[in-house]
Amino acid sequence: MLTLRTTNRVLKVLKTAQKCEQSFHRWLAPTLRELKRRKDIQGPEKPVHRKTFLEWNYDTEIYAFSKRLGEEFNNDLLQQALTERSYIIREEERQKNVGIEQPTLNLSDNKELVSKGSDFIDDIVKRYLRTVLPRLPEEGIIGIHKYLTSIETLSHVSFHIGTSELILCAEFPVEKPTLSNVLKSIIAALIESSGDSRAALFVRDFIITQIADKDLHQFWEPEEPIKLLSEILARDGIQSPEPRLIGCSGKNTILACFRVGLYTPDNKRMIGLGFGETVDIAHEMAARDSLRQLFGTLDNILLPFNLKLDQLCASSVKNLFLNEWSQKTLPFRPTHFELRQAKEISSN
Amino acid sequence: MSQLGRVKQWNTFARCWHLFDAAWQNPLECSPTIEKYLKGLNKPIYHPLVDCGDHVVVINSKQIAFPGEEWRRRAYFHHTGYSGGATWTPAWELHDRDPTMIFRKAVYHHMKGNLFRRVVMERLHIFSDSNVPEEVMENITNQIPPLRSIPKTLSSYSKEEIEKYPKIIDYPEDFILSKN
Repeated sequence: MLTLRTTNRVLKVLKTAQKCEQSFHRWLAPTLRELKRRKDIQGPEKPVHRKTFLEWNYDTEIYAFSKRLGEEFNNDLLQQALTERSYIIREEERQKNVGIEQPTLNLSDNKELVSKGSDFIDDIVKRYLRTVLPRLPEEGIIGIHKYLTSIETLSHVSFHIGTSELILCAEFPVEKPTLSNVLKSIIAALIESSGDSRAALFVRDFIITQIADKDLHQFWEPEEPIKLLSEILARDGIQSPEPRLIGCSGKNTILACFRVGLYTPDNKRMIGLGFGETVDIAHEMAARDSLRQLFGTLDNILLPFNLKLDQLCASSVKNLFLNEWSQKTLPFRPTHFELRQAKEISSN
Repeated sequence: MSQLGRVKQWNTFARCWHLFDAAWQNPLECSPTIEKYLKGLNKPIYHPLVDCGDHVVVINSKQIAFPGEEWRRRAYFHHTGYSGGATWTPAWELHDRDPTMIFRKAVYHHMKGNLFRRVVMERLHIFSDSNVPEEVMENITNQIPPLRSIPKTLSSYSKEEIEKYPKIIDYPEDFILSKN
């Protein structure tokens, strides 16, 4: 009824427009209003895959994808890396429904490539972290590695290098586990096309750089830092540090801020500084700061993202675990400053 | 936000408490300095929309100084809103009624009139003498240096100091210096 009434009104307007000459189109606003109303009834548009557009050319897109990444891929391998098992099953079903008894598809899925790529990423990420953070306990390395190889991180990288429209899979929009699997398989395809060192550079540039602006201790936070610090110092023969209140402002207000410094009892050197809304929090943060200094993970460190595969430490090398960590037993490995300098000298 | 980021922010935006001794100071001269601390203009994080100002505790506001004839000539205007409700109170009279009022008005009128002015003024604590509550004194961590040095009055010299003071001439014994 409402539609009829609106249409009548539009027609009426159109009639009057014909009779007397107006300086503007009196039919325009009612027409647009009516179109808007019909569009609102339809609801929001569903997302459509790019392949439903007329000029979609999958082969060209794949070629452009590899060129965009600046890598030399074997085309068949790349095609295989982007094909999910679910897509093949769906296509076979479709052919059976049409009446083809033995469906033939010249496609193979990326299952093997995924496991191969996953192992490679694990290996490179761990070796890189152990090379650049030789003082960080193994628990920290595992925590950062867990973040870098999580589905969230990998799918984020995969989505932003533009795989989401190239993936052949049953579901649309593509889910996160699929996106991360495809990134793994692309890396495996790269290993077979251009070799390990090239793939290692790819992992470094796209995956490891995700920690560039992050606080490393958000992936791994040592529990009971005050107790841990005194244990570590005891292993080095240093007495447990003495906390001192070195500053406070607005002590009796709700916005009170305290600063606590940790001092070694023997040579009176400050080893950590923390601040917070209460003295206890400030003390704990001071212990955390001190641990950061020991582990070489202060929030202002610059990680060298220019290392190549041959500069990374071997896969068998491991950092010290937390229960055996002490400065005396720390293995000798170059710091990132030295690594950076070595790189600069070799490039000159 | 990570734990470190949270306490860093807390430390950056911590409010300091400053002490200012208003004895022998001209309130009109002091107000730019006080305003700087109240609004946090001295901080590198300052932005007009960022609430980063400090607290200022002003003591001895009863002992402020005005130059020349200001105490008599300066009038503070007030209007009750009713017809014939306008009053002009001389500064000395206002200071007699409330010794903190002149200092507060000086800072208030120096600041630009916007919605933040009254909020900023809440951070100014004025005391007419040096009797400040203990819980306020415990907050204070900094003192703003006085703009004018406080001169030493003749009455504050002890008798020994006056006797030791170098003299150019010796007065004759029958020379009367003062009546008492």
